[in-house]
Amino acid sequence: MTVRPSPDLTPLDRIWLTEAVRLREEHAGPLDDDEANRQARTQGGDLPALIERRALWLAHRDGLIEALRHWRQGARLGALALILLALFTGAGLAFAALGDGQRPVNVFWALGSLLGLNLLTLLGWLLGLLLTGDSSGALGRLWLWLSEKLARDARAAQLAPALLSLLHQRRLSRWLLGTGVHALWLLAMASALLTLLALLATRRYGFVWETTILGENAFVGLTQAFGALPALLGFSVPDVEQIRASGALAGDLDGDLDGARQRWAGWLVGVLLVYGLLPRLLLASLCLWRWRRGRAALTLDLNLPAYRLLRERLQPPSERLGIRDAAPAQLHAPTAGAQLDGSAGAVLVAIELDGSRPWPPALSKGIADAGILDDREGRRRLLDQLTRFPPARLAVACDPRRSPDRGTLALIGELSRCAAATRVWLLQAPPGEALDSARLEDWHQALDTLGLTHSSCAPLRWLETGHD
Amino acid sequence: MTEALKLAVVGHTNVGKTSLLRTLTRDIGFGEVSHRPSTTRHVEGARLSVDGEPLLELYDTPGLEDAIALLDYLERLERPGERLDGPARTARFLDGSEARQRFEQEAKVLRQLLASDAGLYVIDAREPVLAKYKDELAVLAGCGKPLLPVLNFVAQPGHRDEEWRQALARLGLHALVRFDSVAPPVDGERRLYESLALLLEQARPKLQRLIEDHEAQAAARLASGQRLIAELLVDVAACRRSVAAQPELERGAIRELHDAVRRREQRCVEALLRLYAFRQDDAAASDLPLLDGRWGDDLFNPETLKQLGVKIGGGMAAGAAAGAGVDLMVGGITLGAAALLGAIAGGGAQTARHYGNRLLGKLKGQRELSVDDAVLRLLALRQRQLLAVLATRGHAATEAIRLATPQDQGWREGKLPEALQRCRAHPEWSSLNPGARLQDGERQMALDELQAELRQG
Repeated sequence: MTVRPSPDLTPLDRIWLTEAVRLREEHAGPLDDDEANRQARTQGGDLPALIERRALWLAHRDGLIEALRHWRQGARLGALALILLALFTGAGLAFAALGDGQRPVNVFWALGSLLGLNLLTLLGWLLGLLLTGDSSGALGRLWLWLSEKLARDARAAQLAPALLSLLHQRRLSRWLLGTGVHALWLLAMASALLTLLALLATRRYGFVWETTILGENAFVGLTQAFGALPALLGFSVPDVEQIRASGALAGDLDGDLDGARQRWAGWLVGVLLVYGLLPRLLLASLCLWRWRRGRAALTLDLNLPAYRLLRERLQPPSERLGIRDAAPAQLHAPTAGAQLDGSAGAVLVAIELDGSRPWPPALSKGIADAGILDDREGRRRLLDQLTRFPPARLAVACDPRRSPDRGTLALIGELSRCAAATRVWLLQAPPGEALDSARLEDWHQALDTLGLTHSSCAPLRWLETGHD
Repeated sequence: MTEALKLAVVGHTNVGKTSLLRTLTRDIGFGEVSHRPSTTRHVEGARLSVDGEPLLELYDTPGLEDAIALLDYLERLERPGERLDGPARTARFLDGSEARQRFEQEAKVLRQLLASDAGLYVIDAREPVLAKYKDELAVLAGCGKPLLPVLNFVAQPGHRDEEWRQALARLGLHALVRFDSVAPPVDGERRLYESLALLLEQARPKLQRLIEDHEAQAAARLASGQRLIAELLVDVAACRRSVAAQPELERGAIRELHDAVRRREQRCVEALLRLYAFRQDDAAASDLPLLDGRWGDDLFNPETLKQLGVKIGGGMAAGAAAGAGVDLMVGGITLGAAALLGAIAGGGAQTARHYGNRLLGKLKGQRELSVDDAVLRLLALRQRQLLAVLATRGHAATEAIRLATPQDQGWREGKLPEALQRCRAHPEWSSLNPGARLQDGERQMALDELQAELRQG
């Protein structure tokens, strides 16, 4: 299977799929990824690129990319439905606000029905932004729950959690959701504005305000306060007279009726634009900007334990190179022997003792002390001597704390060939120390292979008399 | 791409050459290690890379065992009136027939050293300075390559560090490194590579890069380990079981809860071992405070708590339902109500529903089981202890290490971290509960906080 990950995947998709694969492996155990790893490795690159390539390969194999496409289609359909809903809602709001023109429009009721819900949800969103640290919020959870219910196969089941976990990394979900929510409201408001304009253009509305307990001045102040900002943009604000006049019963008005209507209409449009449309536009842009910036900064969190393990496989910090120079069929084996002619006397020699123990032990007259063998000169001297005057009995003392290497064994073998009989004395550990039993066992084995008698008791009696 | 720096690891038999390689490559399965001499009889390589770029190749060689005889032989190779320098003499030896017979193993070592940029001469610092070692150095010096003596086993009693220093200085080897392959010092690798950089100036950038990468990796591994422990703690703290208030059912549920927590801890242990590239069945892992890759002492045994110095309440000390705090009727409702309020404030309908169910359960006479604080403390203490041991343990460890009781006073007696308390109110954060939401943003936040806590305390 040769796989080129589809070119139409955006960077977000790639990182999303990577995260989905990670979650899948976390929940369902590691995937069979030998080929994926190899494919990723051959293309090279830095670690995030390798991880991503491996994940995309696995995602392709397991149909995750397909699932992502389906998911996107669904998301697009959903978005379309939401857009339509927003458009209808906006239009509906405008219709509800203005009514059918039979009766004069109560301006503050109209304003309330146009802006009320919008401002309330906006307030809710702001409070949520400020108060809760939980970035995914109720909408995010609703979405997660929905996608869990709607996910038809297990492969796609990790897509939604993966996106959430990815978004959590940079607290992006509030900005993504914010973009969506504000854009929808923006659409709704725009639709309301257009409907409002269309209605105002084609129907004739009278505007009134009514009160039971408030005074006239309150409405004048309110109208002018609302109108102040739109007035900066050139929208008309009814003057005090017109406001007062609208407070009276409709139709009971002399003077410039049409002028007042137009001013009220301008005021309504201006207020809707400034308090309904503009805040949503600004917030939608802000959210979009934050979301884009955050999205561009999304990276794989290489510190996750799962990626630490992957790193070992994708970019192994150490690899074995294999055997360069094979082991021989068998090692050179030292041999022991005996020199049988013309031998007399007894010799005690020690090999490689450190200075920590007293040497030699008290010896009777018949035993010659050959000292401690360590360096080459000493060895050569002793071997020359022994070859010339082979002893009848030779005892070799060894410290079993040293390891029985081939050099030492070869020396013992060579020495044994210079004497009629040879014994090896494996010294006891000095007081306060213990011998390593494994190493002692090595000595026993090595000496058994050489065919030499060995013991841990001093063979001084044997040296002296020739029998124990 | 430039060539990797080649190093031959040489030395007497049984001084820990393969162990050193295991530790440097963090590869516990490299070669074969045993107490026997001549365990390694071949030359085997390993490569260290950073970001896919090979920087260092290390070659394990057989031990030199017959250097005295070899040096004799080398000297006899010089014909009368001839004066050969080291490399020429070594080359002549390698061409001769003894290089395939008696000195076959020694020839392998010399050939590899000749093909390398430098040699690491490994010394068992517990050994006395014998003449054969000096002869070994003389034979190796004949290759004309820089040698860096590495004193191994310096962390063990009875080493003769000073003797070796003096002896090596007399042979003209003044740069040396102490590096215990069983318990490598924290900055051991750094010092080893820095000393090498002194010998091989042109290789300094590569070695520097290796040092930096290894240190970054070590820090990242530690963070990953802390993350794993944080996940364990969250899972266990948030774990809940609802059970009808009948003693028999309760006992069964407690047993089931205990088993679930034990299995969860085991998963964490395995993940930590994997993170540090130790295998469960390895000799090295068996010397951890684990038995066959498991903690020997049972988590829910009050004795275990006492051993680690965790104070336990009366109920647990009596051994009754050790480790599972039973949420009693009254206490349960207050806890449930508080948590419900918290959940509503958090805005999670899901959580609220969960608590609704729990409250309903309470009213129906059900009890909630959760894991006691003391057990959380114990988990935190011993996993941290394990992590600390793993972080400082060489991949060549073959002997047991005695652990000092960790000085984790904060975890033993202090207040448990706030994030952990919060987990108590979020059963959906625990992978041990059905319907877990592990990707929940707040859970991740709690994990982050706990991880930070584990790093400090």
